[in-house]
Amino acid sequence: MSEPEDRSNSNKPADAQKPKSPPTPTTLHGLRAVWRFADGERRAFAAAVVALFFAAGCLYLVPLVPQSIFDTMFGETAKASALSRRIVEALGGLDTLRDRLWLPALVMILLTALSGVAIHLKTRFAAGAAERIARRMRDRMYDHVQRLPCDTLDEIPSGDLLQRCTSDIETLRTFLNSQAPEICRALLMMLVPLPLMAALDWRMALASVVCVPVMLLFTAVSFHRMGPDFGKKETAEARMTAKVQENLTGIRTVRAFGRAAFENARFAESSAAYRESDALLFRHYARFWSTSDLLCFTQMVIVVSLGAVLVARGSLETGAYFYFLTVVSLFIWPVRMLGRMVVESGKALAAVARLDEILAKKEERDLDPPATERVELPATERGLALRFDRVSFAYRGGPTVLDGLSFELAAGQTLGLVGPSGAGKTTIVQLLLRFHEPTAGSITVDGHPLARVDRASMRRLTGTVLQQPFLYSKKLRDNIVAGMNAVTTEDAVVAATQSACIHESIVAFPERYETVVGEKGLTLSGGQRQRVAIARALVRAPRLLILDDALSAVDMHTESSILGALSAARTAQTRIIISHRLSAVMDADLILVLDEGRLLQRGTHAELIAVDGLYRTLWEIQHLAERDLTETLEEVDV
Amino acid sequence: MSEVHAHDDSRARFSLRVWQPIVTRALSNHRAVAALLIAGIIVAGIETALPLLVGRIVDEARKGSDAELLPVLILYASVFIGFAAGVWIFIAAAGIVATRTADRLRCDCFAKLQELEPAYFDVRPTGWLVSRLTSDCSKVSGMMPWCMLDFSWCTAIVLGVTVTMFVTNARLALWALCAVPVMTLLSVVFQRFMIRAGREARRLASAMTAAYGEMLLGARTTKTLAREEANLSEFQGLSREMNFWSLRGAVLSSVYVPLISMLAASAGAVLLWRGAGDVLAGEGVTLGTLIAFMQFAALFAQPVQELSQRFADILNASSAAERIASLLATEPAIADRPDVKAPRELARIEELRFDAVDFWYRPDVPVLQQFSLRATRGQTIALVGSTGGGKTTIVSLATRFYEPRAGRITIDGVDLRDLPLSWFTEQIGIVPQVAHLFAGTVRENIRYGRLDASDEEIERAAQRVKAHGFITALEKQYETEVGEGGERLSTGQRQLVALARAVLRDPQILVMDEATSSIDTATERLVQAGVEEVLRGRIAFVVAHRLSTIRSADAILVIEAGRIAEQGTHKELLARRGRYWELYTNQFAADRERALLHLKDAATQQTVASLVGESQDDE
Repeated sequence: MSEPEDRSNSNKPADAQKPKSPPTPTTLHGLRAVWRFADGERRAFAAAVVALFFAAGCLYLVPLVPQSIFDTMFGETAKASALSRRIVEALGGLDTLRDRLWLPALVMILLTALSGVAIHLKTRFAAGAAERIARRMRDRMYDHVQRLPCDTLDEIPSGDLLQRCTSDIETLRTFLNSQAPEICRALLMMLVPLPLMAALDWRMALASVVCVPVMLLFTAVSFHRMGPDFGKKETAEARMTAKVQENLTGIRTVRAFGRAAFENARFAESSAAYRESDALLFRHYARFWSTSDLLCFTQMVIVVSLGAVLVARGSLETGAYFYFLTVVSLFIWPVRMLGRMVVESGKALAAVARLDEILAKKEERDLDPPATERVELPATERGLALRFDRVSFAYRGGPTVLDGLSFELAAGQTLGLVGPSGAGKTTIVQLLLRFHEPTAGSITVDGHPLARVDRASMRRLTGTVLQQPFLYSKKLRDNIVAGMNAVTTEDAVVAATQSACIHESIVAFPERYETVVGEKGLTLSGGQRQRVAIARALVRAPRLLILDDALSAVDMHTESSILGALSAARTAQTRIIISHRLSAVMDADLILVLDEGRLLQRGTHAELIAVDGLYRTLWEIQHLAERDLTETLEEVDV
Repeated sequence: MSEVHAHDDSRARFSLRVWQPIVTRALSNHRAVAALLIAGIIVAGIETALPLLVGRIVDEARKGSDAELLPVLILYASVFIGFAAGVWIFIAAAGIVATRTADRLRCDCFAKLQELEPAYFDVRPTGWLVSRLTSDCSKVSGMMPWCMLDFSWCTAIVLGVTVTMFVTNARLALWALCAVPVMTLLSVVFQRFMIRAGREARRLASAMTAAYGEMLLGARTTKTLAREEANLSEFQGLSREMNFWSLRGAVLSSVYVPLISMLAASAGAVLLWRGAGDVLAGEGVTLGTLIAFMQFAALFAQPVQELSQRFADILNASSAAERIASLLATEPAIADRPDVKAPRELARIEELRFDAVDFWYRPDVPVLQQFSLRATRGQTIALVGSTGGGKTTIVSLATRFYEPRAGRITIDGVDLRDLPLSWFTEQIGIVPQVAHLFAGTVRENIRYGRLDASDEEIERAAQRVKAHGFITALEKQYETEVGEGGERLSTGQRQLVALARAVLRDPQILVMDEATSSIDTATERLVQAGVEEVLRGRIAFVVAHRLSTIRSADAILVIEAGRIAEQGTHKELLARRGRYWELYTNQFAADRERALLHLKDAATQQTVASLVGESQDDE
């Protein structure tokens, strides 16, 4: 009786089972997807099934040996089944065996060993293939998701994507690694002994499987019914987690108001709700396991009783009886799990189908024209020449973000973009980087239509600092050279960090350029992050430099140092600078003042302050401040 | 910090001490634990009796008498009912132990966190703490009942089977047990390798999750850098390693499990070899006995496997247990001294003083040095100065979120540390820079200021800070759910609710960290009116960002590098044309610029509409 094994299983679903959000994809989709994912590994799985078959065969042969001995040696040899007599003869005949009882023992050990080897091989094949598929899937999802267009990334919540990359792949792995082989094992364990049992005694064979259909049905129905309660537990857990999260986020408020007792009471409520939902599952388990134990035992009792009666009547040999006793206890437990495995696999396959949904989304490179029609921009020192011709953009179904914008920027010029938030400044940058495609109009780069320019070459030649710069959890040095194909010299790195006014701060860290940043390392301030990102853009010596509000968190003094370093660099690079502070754009060759996707004003600083408009209003704020102060001071004097 | 960053399974040493708080809580469910242990013994007893019964049945059947067979068969069938009952009891009891232990642990950890000083949270990310209360607590509690059950079940079955066998036939018993030492040895050896593989696989799984997370967060940056290939090859390093360790774990267990079964089967074979002769010779060994012994031999594989599995579980969870134990053992750094006395009831606080206070977060970076300050009742003190100068530190010290490293802070001459924390907390009100609201209704959020406040008092507080207008314009007025963290309200509305909450509390000392986030001028004017209401008649400190607040303060302190650089009223300070002049000019420009550039924000526009409508109602 393998009760402990089942018992240890009984507490697993409590944490292993995670019902997902309503599964739209069906089990059938999942099955098809698994078949495709298993491409190249199907043979390994077939080999695993063969090994399983072999293992089950050996396992069921083992009790045949003592059964033959019992029947021939302790019973009337003549009454023993043909199978038993043949086995005994194969072992050297009854007389020889009486003196050499170690021989059947050895055969039993050997058979068990063979079965063990087969089980081992099955794991080698199945787990090996499953792990390879999982690894391939992990790599594939990683690469696929990072190459998805921004539109797609915006559509799917990143928490959802993360779950698919982690737990859905894990579900696939578990399915291939354990659920599918377990189902095969249970089936084989049930089917393989049938001919052997039938050969020994058909009445007993029939009695041995009579409860099996009931058990399968009972298990499947029970686990199906428990489904909603698993969901309830998940919800209660999520609620409780949200409570903790909220409390800890506001822990200062809690302290400020001295509300510890109040919070404890509130938390106790949600903790208790979760406890109850979990306890409900335990009650389900208690009912399920004890009932299914009863069903298994009913099966045992049927076999034991019928066998005993038959033996007593003399129409069944003791050895055969022993065989049935052993075999029933061998297959009844895996069969008991079969129904549950099938229900769980159904859920698993639905999760797998969701992986397929993501993989079906087009990557950026799938949207590109064929390589022969693409233009690769050369990596020279010259700046990029840009032209926007009546460019408009709107998010799918959203309002117009950019409305028929036209401008031209010669190589080596600097463009300043000014305007309230939501004016469309960032959109211009995103269109240039091909994060989105214009809904109307055209953009040309060095005379080539941007849509035909190789995406990677455009990005490689551009140094971009986004509004909220992201740094990888790596060493500072690795962050700065991230995205460089060639080896970057130490001098180049330091030159870039000096221009970005971050070198001094970096060398003040105990581990200098080796300092790890991000979650597992040092937390940088917003201004420091921006400056590291600027250094990362500068070290590329790009043909186009884009600073999208990249100086918002640095103080005015540092800002002017960085801008000074940029203009001192005297490269032929083209630049686009978006800023809320006019000081950052006043030296630009062309300044565009935007509002709600439309161009309000264009010109140089000198031209723009000469006319009435938003630009001049902004510029005059500085003077307003001084006027206000003077007035206040005059009041003081009075 | 090291606690947060130490890898979850980096140290899997076994220490009973860390389990003590968990085991104590688990054991406190006396009846369930007793039921669990007894059920384990019952089940083990039945499992021991079954082979004997089967042996009896075989022997009786061979004798061929139905009459003697029947009672044994009935006994056999009824024993199973007992078995199923045992299973039902232990799972039900396990449920009680596991869920109640987890609940107790969670609530105790939660309560401990409420006591700990803010500095504790400065170095521990919220997400990290959340997992301590959720997954760690569930993990260690979930194991408790199974460990207890296996303790009783394994002991009972090993003892029961061994004794039964020796009583029946000592010679065969020895043969049946011959494989047990080898099994135990194998388990010890294999578990060590399997635990290692499991630990590595878990480490890699969390590293991969982090890598996926980073990939998603930095998707756009990766695109701008065109570094997809480099990213992938870094990730492939992880997935390759993962593949190695998880396959290794699978292969190890595929060697271990068959080996144990083989050893158990070998014991059966050996019994056949040694026992069959005895049966033939008629030396008191019946065929039934032999069959029973062969089943006993197979039974021994289970406790061995089970115990080694539990041992692995305990090792795997020991870092979780250690984290919980260390949280529960943490003593709050800011707590009442044993001899604190609450001052006379309703004591009016006339004066708050900083007396040569030194403070630092890290010893090598001093924040305040020899800082002194005096604030009296009815005074509003505005703290201005550049970021990192120490303004926030000053207000955190005044509210006893932190304590001075040197010097002292007194109210009416009594050191804060000599006053009961709970009494002092009643006297203070805090309006933080980012108003934190709790999921619940607007009313509940305001009531947080004073739990026994009536609905009327709540509405009056809202009226005083001019929040009543926007609240009544909401769909369900005061019963409107604000959402998690107040997400369904705008920034300005959240600030107004936080102000109402502080007014309702009616504190003697009020500390306000003004929001720097941009809100439009109309909202700002309203919030400003609320702020003035809140500040009136108290000892008030404001970390000021708005010109209007600064202008109306009784005293302005310019804080630079942990010291008071300038001090005076608005006009006095302007006349000096020093640091304050500079700050003020910048702030003025920034305010105006913000007004010009952000007014068209869709989000604030809505707020403007609702607030403007409200202010018209008021007039």
